[in-house]
Amino acid sequence: MNTKPSSLFVKMTMVSLVLALLFLAAMVAGLAMGSSGASLDSIWTTLSSEDASQSMEQAIIWRIRFPRVLLAALVGAALSLGGLVFQALLKNPLAEPYILGISGGAAIGGIIGIILGLSRIPGVSITAFAGSLATLVLIIFISSGRAFLVKDALLLSGVMVNAFCTAVIMFLLSITQDDRLHNIIFWLMGDLSASQIHHVIMLAAILLPCFMVVFIYSNKMNLLLLGSDMAASMGVRVRQVTLVLLVITSLMISLTVSQCGLIGFVGLVIPHLLRLLCGPDHRVLVPACILGGGAYMVVCDLLARVLPPQGEMPGGVITAMIGAPLFILLLRRSKR
Amino acid sequence: MNAILRIDRVSCAYPQNPVLRELTFQVNPGELFIVIGPNGSGKTTLIKALAGLLPISGGEIFLREQALKQYGQKDLARQVAYVAQTGAVDNPFTIKEMVLMGRSPYLGVLGIEGELDIEIARQAIEFTGLSQLANRRLDSLSGGERQRAFIARAICQQPELILLDEPTAALDLAHQIRIMDLMQRMKTNQGATVVMVSHDINLAAMYADRLLLLVDGHIRACGSPSQVIDEKLLGAAYSCRLSVDQSPCGDWPMVNQMPGEKSRR
Amino acid sequence: MGKQPFIAHPLQLAAPGCSAVEMVLKMMLFKRFRAIVLACLLILSNTPADAKTFIDQFGRHVQVPDRPQRIVAMAPSITEIIFALGLSERLVGATQFSDYPLIAETLPKVGSYVHLDVEKIVALKPDLCIAVKDGNPISVVRRLESVGIPVYAVDPRNLDAVMATLLELGQLLDVRFRAEAIVDGMAGRIQQLRRRVACADHTPAVFFQIGISPIVSVGTPTFIHELIVMAGGINLAQGKTPYPRFSKEQVISLWPEVMIITSMARETVFDQVKSEWKQWQDLPAVKNNRIYLVDSNVFDRASPRLVEGLEMLARLIHPECYHTGKPETQP
Repeated sequence: MNTKPSSLFVKMTMVSLVLALLFLAAMVAGLAMGSSGASLDSIWTTLSSEDASQSMEQAIIWRIRFPRVLLAALVGAALSLGGLVFQALLKNPLAEPYILGISGGAAIGGIIGIILGLSRIPGVSITAFAGSLATLVLIIFISSGRAFLVKDALLLSGVMVNAFCTAVIMFLLSITQDDRLHNIIFWLMGDLSASQIHHVIMLAAILLPCFMVVFIYSNKMNLLLLGSDMAASMGVRVRQVTLVLLVITSLMISLTVSQCGLIGFVGLVIPHLLRLLCGPDHRVLVPACILGGGAYMVVCDLLARVLPPQGEMPGGVITAMIGAPLFILLLRRSKR
Repeated sequence: MNAILRIDRVSCAYPQNPVLRELTFQVNPGELFIVIGPNGSGKTTLIKALAGLLPISGGEIFLREQALKQYGQKDLARQVAYVAQTGAVDNPFTIKEMVLMGRSPYLGVLGIEGELDIEIARQAIEFTGLSQLANRRLDSLSGGERQRAFIARAICQQPELILLDEPTAALDLAHQIRIMDLMQRMKTNQGATVVMVSHDINLAAMYADRLLLLVDGHIRACGSPSQVIDEKLLGAAYSCRLSVDQSPCGDWPMVNQMPGEKSRR
Repeated sequence: MGKQPFIAHPLQLAAPGCSAVEMVLKMMLFKRFRAIVLACLLILSNTPADAKTFIDQFGRHVQVPDRPQRIVAMAPSITEIIFALGLSERLVGATQFSDYPLIAETLPKVGSYVHLDVEKIVALKPDLCIAVKDGNPISVVRRLESVGIPVYAVDPRNLDAVMATLLELGQLLDVRFRAEAIVDGMAGRIQQLRRRVACADHTPAVFFQIGISPIVSVGTPTFIHELIVMAGGINLAQGKTPYPRFSKEQVISLWPEVMIITSMARETVFDQVKSEWKQWQDLPAVKNNRIYLVDSNVFDRASPRLVEGLEMLARLIHPECYHTGKPETQP
């Protein structure tokens, strides 16, 4: 940083612009391509035609792909942001959205919902959400008291609760009837196919304000990295900030998981990747994660829809297959 | 002369055990005030309580005759700066970025810095002698350099009072002196009041205007180095045999440890 | 009571295609075994040697007693067939989803047909187990054989094979005439149906959905495909894959005229699935309100009820050939 007064502004703008362009490109690709064919000009005609009677292609783009691409963008942004916030709060580079047991609780809730024969939305998403909140409360309770702000207590109890949830999940899977198993496994792997436009809009209505709040707290996240004592001495209400960020992020992640199951690696890889490219300042990283994470998820979902010769893959499979090697690459880069 | 910091019968129990017991003393403006004492005497607790980081269970701390707890957090940050004993080691920010963070008590929500802030940070970096390293990441620095960086950040807060918790612990000799000289300059050039905790009695004796000897949460002595550095007092406090002499380098006392049970040579 | 079960030798010598005689001969190589066999023969000599050797669909030679009195059905389809043959009193055990006729649910359960409970089967002391070739794992079959329980495997892989299986089992269980009567009845109904459906002038495109999430349909190597074709429809999911998956997009671009959904889920889920498809108002299946829910058991079970499934399909696909008005949906 030199003495240009707005160099932070410049950086924020440049990064956001580049990523926004990538995001847009990803959206267009996601709308144009799908399991039933690919074409760019259908998008144009869909957007420009006013009449109600659409051709089948246009109907597919507007009513299947558009909600799905939007959902992917929201999910990618929420998960990336979740990973970023947890990495800052817990001061641990391995932190990712599911580390505090949210995924375990959501999975149990979701599986129970599917076993009970509830529909994906709203039934299963409600049970999944309830499950994730239950585990969050449990973890906070376990690590509460003076240990609340001690990051290791939170982390450890999260890991332990997750492990326990895994055991419960295995038990549930073993007693489930075969016909439900497929449904459960698909959901566990992360499935973006079940949502319709009004669900997506509802999700956006809750997530976008959450993104705003996290952005407002982005400078405080920088300060927190110095240590809670020094941050407090610089005017940060550490307890309050931690609590707010924890709750908001858990809310974002719980909602995401309850809609789409467990999509992994996005929350772990994207923050690290962006940190490598854009530096550690959260004021730059927060918008970067929103746009970059969204674009990444849209692309992964596109691949999940297009790659299999028949049908579609769960999105979580693609994020894992790309995310894991990417993370290893990043690890090697950063070690140098 | 009005005290900048007045501690009135302050007690602190953390978490259940009493650590500070009804301490009463004051710090004068422009002083270099050093707290010494054996391990576990409550020095860190005291300095954290003075920074407003730990709640006190009894008594009151007054900053400029206003109770500490009545200050808003940001307001307090503009007047009091705190440097922890061990700052985060694996911090990915560069010195420049981190020092700039010291300006946050004066900035808005997003903390977007202006030209003035950048200039203040530059000066702080220069003051602490880190201009060459300004673009280096914190996790690539030595302990002494990192500590200076944290101090530079504290300077950016433009505080009246700087609190430091054992800033010279685990530093090499050169850096120890460097930090203490820095504190001296803070006092004289910036007109700040420096309160710090030190485990090194001789260093404290060398630089302090006044010393506070804290033992087991009680004040054993408070005054000028020659008043506090007393063989019997220190010997009892540290439970070992000491000899106190005049330092050959200046008019401050010097403490030497003596062997315990070993045979005298 | 049939044969005494002989003690299983540590070396598993029962290989597929190895007859019982070969097995015993191999085992005779072991001294210890010879002694036991001698002892058994003495006991065996007291039991009537009225077992016949049949070759089952695995190509194995199976020693089936003449009038087996304790039969275990290793698949729900077998249970149905045995009930249809009127031999229900000889059934001592059935697999988990043997739910037709209803009384079959009271039979002792021996696990599901992919996860058979060998212990339970052995505890029921059956003198014959009837297995399905593509369904029951061969390892279970071998394990049962190793404790002396004869297992006869059938292979009802399409409608013709179902009828052949009925005859085969009729032969095996000595109820040949009854079996022939059933098969004749089935063939008659099929003939009648064929004649009715022949009147139609259009073969509608049918999408038969057996899975909701993910969407799964049926390919050529399934019963349902055969039934759809026989009932005068085109199976949109035809192809090599028996249970191909589809994305919503793909289903829509196939432009189905009739959609039949079968699943073991409750009615509420069907209503939701139906209303989801109904949003695509341009689809012919939606425009003409031809989305139906059916009970899956009459379609994927190799039992005489397949003909019922066939008739149901024909009514749904070609209602105009049946003068009974609008086809009803089954709960």
